[in-house]
Amino acid sequence: MSYHVEIDETACAGHGDCVDVAPEVFELADIARVVGSGSDELLLAAAELCPSAAIRLRDARTGEQVYP
Amino acid sequence: MTSTSTSRTAGVAILGGGLAGQRCAETLRRHGYDGAIRIVCAEAHRPYDRPPLSKRALREPADVGALAFRPLAWYQEHAVELLLGASATELRPRERAARLSDGRTLRFDWALIATGSRPRPLPALAGRENVSTLRDFEDCQALREALAQPTRLAVIGAGFVGQEVAATARGLGAEVTLIEAGPCPLAAILGEGLGGWFSRLHRDEGVRVLCGVTVRRVRGRPRVRELELSDGRRVEVDHVVVGVGVTPATSWLRGSGLLSDGGVPVDEHGRSRFARVLAAGDAAAAYDPRRGRHVPGAHWETAARQGARAAQVMLGRELGPPPISSFWSDQYGIRIQYVGHARLGERIVLDGDPETRSFTATFTRSGRPVAALLIDRPRELAPIRDLIEKGES
Repeated sequence: MSYHVEIDETACAGHGDCVDVAPEVFELADIARVVGSGSDELLLAAAELCPSAAIRLRDARTGEQVYP
Repeated sequence: MTSTSTSRTAGVAILGGGLAGQRCAETLRRHGYDGAIRIVCAEAHRPYDRPPLSKRALREPADVGALAFRPLAWYQEHAVELLLGASATELRPRERAARLSDGRTLRFDWALIATGSRPRPLPALAGRENVSTLRDFEDCQALREALAQPTRLAVIGAGFVGQEVAATARGLGAEVTLIEAGPCPLAAILGEGLGGWFSRLHRDEGVRVLCGVTVRRVRGRPRVRELELSDGRRVEVDHVVVGVGVTPATSWLRGSGLLSDGGVPVDEHGRSRFARVLAAGDAAAAYDPRRGRHVPGAHWETAARQGARAAQVMLGRELGPPPISSFWSDQYGIRIQYVGHARLGERIVLDGDPETRSFTATFTRSGRPVAALLIDRPRELAPIRDLIEKGES
């Protein structure tokens, strides 16, 4: 499996937890944005930590949402 | 201690060049810390990601740079100094100084102990040439080369690393025997019912799984030819991988006043008993308010989070309680995820059929979920984590 990541811009509250755990993937301006790629481990750890559940992960092959 | 300090400014000394240390440095810079940051890396490589060592990097030849968290230029741009090939040999918390293996003394305003862990060795196999543990890139390369030929591989210890190595080696065509002292893989974490599922998984993939046995005799020197097990069975081998757990790499802290058996005891935010000295990752035993004790050994996600949180502490930022830990494993293309603490559970509720390769086992206590094992059910992780966290409040 390989994840595709996107941020729900209406949900992101700019906590920055995703940047703490996956700084290669996320950057914080007012809200988070995706600036790089990373392993599934990294993406999932970031998604799990998001207090706003604003990080969506999809199976890159099937497009099926796997998180949240 | 000598006064030949190399540092013009003290700043932050990160002792250990793994994930926790890297995340600490990144978080400090992201929040505008402008003091010196030095990462003391025992290895010759800049910090890199280790989970691929038992999977992708074992299958495909790779440069360690491909596993690095950041390109070399990042360290220059962010003024993070890497002290490669050096390790901390002594810590003097009250003097705020660390002694390094190259003789230098590093002074600090803040120190993060992040020296990680090392594989527990099996004394019976000491000094043999064809025996691997798996912790760093060189271990991975040595094992990859061994697996490039037709190999009869014995994996001793069926924890997650041992199982991943077994699965990857099997995928490469090796003849694999998995040897576990417990009644089944992961019995201590998941219990025998679910642990047995892992035995079946490996057997179905053609791995010979031998449980409830230990290695009684080793034949062959300098190369192991045969393992004799406690039940008298003999296993002929070309290569052996030992995966019987890890111990915190903290022996260098002896005499510092910081050590207990299971690593450096710290509070839930990573603070040790000495001001301005923190610890994170596998070297730390962080206090877990959920279980009311210090918990040694961490996983990937915990190390990342603890490293980042240590930086927040150094910056004087407010921190909430740490989230429930989770980790995962990929074997034979199946995603295996685990969240919470199964040992707090009294019952197991199954959703789906364990005879298949897709089900969820939820561990409950007084009807509330406290942990879950997800086999190829990635979508269920978020709702289950929510339920576990809500159950606590």
